[in-house]
Amino acid sequence: MIFLDTRELDHPLPLEMAVDAFKNLAETEVIHMFHRREPIPLFEIILKNGGHYLSYQDSEELWHVLITRSPAVNLEEYRV
Amino acid sequence: MFNQGLSLDQAPPIAVVLRFFLSLPFFGTLLAILMILYPHEIITPSHPISLAAIHLFFLGVITMSMIGALFQMQSVLGGRPIPAPGGNALIIHTFLTAGVLSLCSAFLFTLAPLFILAAVLLGAALIYTANLILPLLFGEITHDTLRGMRLSLISLAITALFGIVMASSYANNSFSPSYDAIRTSHYSLGLIGWIATLIIAVAFQVVEMFYVTSPYSLWCKRNGFRIITASLALKILWLFLELPYVWVFDGILAALLFGFIATTVRRLHERKRRVSDVSIWFWAFGLLMLCVSLISHLLYLITSLQTFEIAALLGFGTFALSIILGMIGKIVPFLVWFHLNAAGYMETPIMSNVIPAPRNKTLFILLVAGSVSAFLALLNPLFFRIAGIGVLALFVVLGYNLIAATRLYRHIHLSGKRFEFSPPQE
Repeated sequence: MIFLDTRELDHPLPLEMAVDAFKNLAETEVIHMFHRREPIPLFEIILKNGGHYLSYQDSEELWHVLITRSPAVNLEEYRV
Repeated sequence: MFNQGLSLDQAPPIAVVLRFFLSLPFFGTLLAILMILYPHEIITPSHPISLAAIHLFFLGVITMSMIGALFQMQSVLGGRPIPAPGGNALIIHTFLTAGVLSLCSAFLFTLAPLFILAAVLLGAALIYTANLILPLLFGEITHDTLRGMRLSLISLAITALFGIVMASSYANNSFSPSYDAIRTSHYSLGLIGWIATLIIAVAFQVVEMFYVTSPYSLWCKRNGFRIITASLALKILWLFLELPYVWVFDGILAALLFGFIATTVRRLHERKRRVSDVSIWFWAFGLLMLCVSLISHLLYLITSLQTFEIAALLGFGTFALSIILGMIGKIVPFLVWFHLNAAGYMETPIMSNVIPAPRNKTLFILLVAGSVSAFLALLNPLFFRIAGIGVLALFVVLGYNLIAATRLYRHIHLSGKRFEFSPPQE
């Protein structure tokens, strides 16, 4: 599991860090990103490159985004 | 949410937005040429050359960039992308470009048929834009930025309608008794309803997102647009019914805009991470210019001195341009980065390398120099020549930034290596 806490980072660092991590992701690895808002453009990049994601909101300023390359990985199991 | 609710083609093609942005240097250069050649005429209110310059700026530069940005914003924020974005952008851009050139030529050469042509082309471009995007903004709208976009597009359409009436008056050289009411309604809706409203709507979204600030208050987000709507509607009604105390509505709008300045400056000042970012300089300078514009307008209402009216317009134009330049410096690198990454290119540069900070700083310095010179022209019109040279340099640098970013995108798109994942292991 790769943890990315980008809540305090200015745009565009959160997106750049997440995409960089996604490009270098091993087959069954999962990225767990913590962000202050839902990063919609990131989802389009992940989907267009064959990845999968799960996003959910915990509180007003905390979104969790789980990202993987493998369709075999059940991201629901990584929910906290 | 698991891969749901997001279309793979949510964002419009990069060419859709760049088409509008790349036109800015062209119209900006024409404006600079007018400033250099006709400094005395431009500083004279209602002079045909002054009107040509005003429309070159507010339509060719400001509206052109705002419509380009709307194509991107609607798809990302609204979740309901504009249909056939490529074709619709081509239609709107072509009509808007031809319309601005026709209108400015009509003013410069006093040619009646060109006023009619401009009315048809600009009316078509602006009302078509509103008609295309507005239906996507009705229904279950929960985002305050989208409410602001709705108000700004309605204002744009009505501004265009008043503009058509005024163009036909110029073409026939026949001005109705309510011409002054139409003229005041035209620029009030254009400047406040269209431009200021869209900038406020964008601020509600980007200030918090880009600079990690505390969010704007809910009261501010909910009621700001309602106050603008009510004030503008009542002002127009007062103008046409020739009722007294129209200035009250200007006072309310000015108070609201002062509130917007104060709350935005406070948020930028108290932001959590103090990372150096040129775009914040553009926001700060833009807000300062809005402040100058409001004070000048209030002084004009009190004194009726035309110098204050010109200062108000100069300040407002600089406010809009400053925010737009700051946002272009953010949007264009994002679009290049986003579209290359979405297509899976390995060598996608980081956003800060698409338009390097020194070139954005140069742009900012030229904007400040041009603005200061333009204000000095209130004392001596010849300063408009110096301002024109500054504006020319500004748009040359902007053009270079945009073309360099476009070339970088094309280069990687044509020859870049895509990253490929190995097939899943059994």
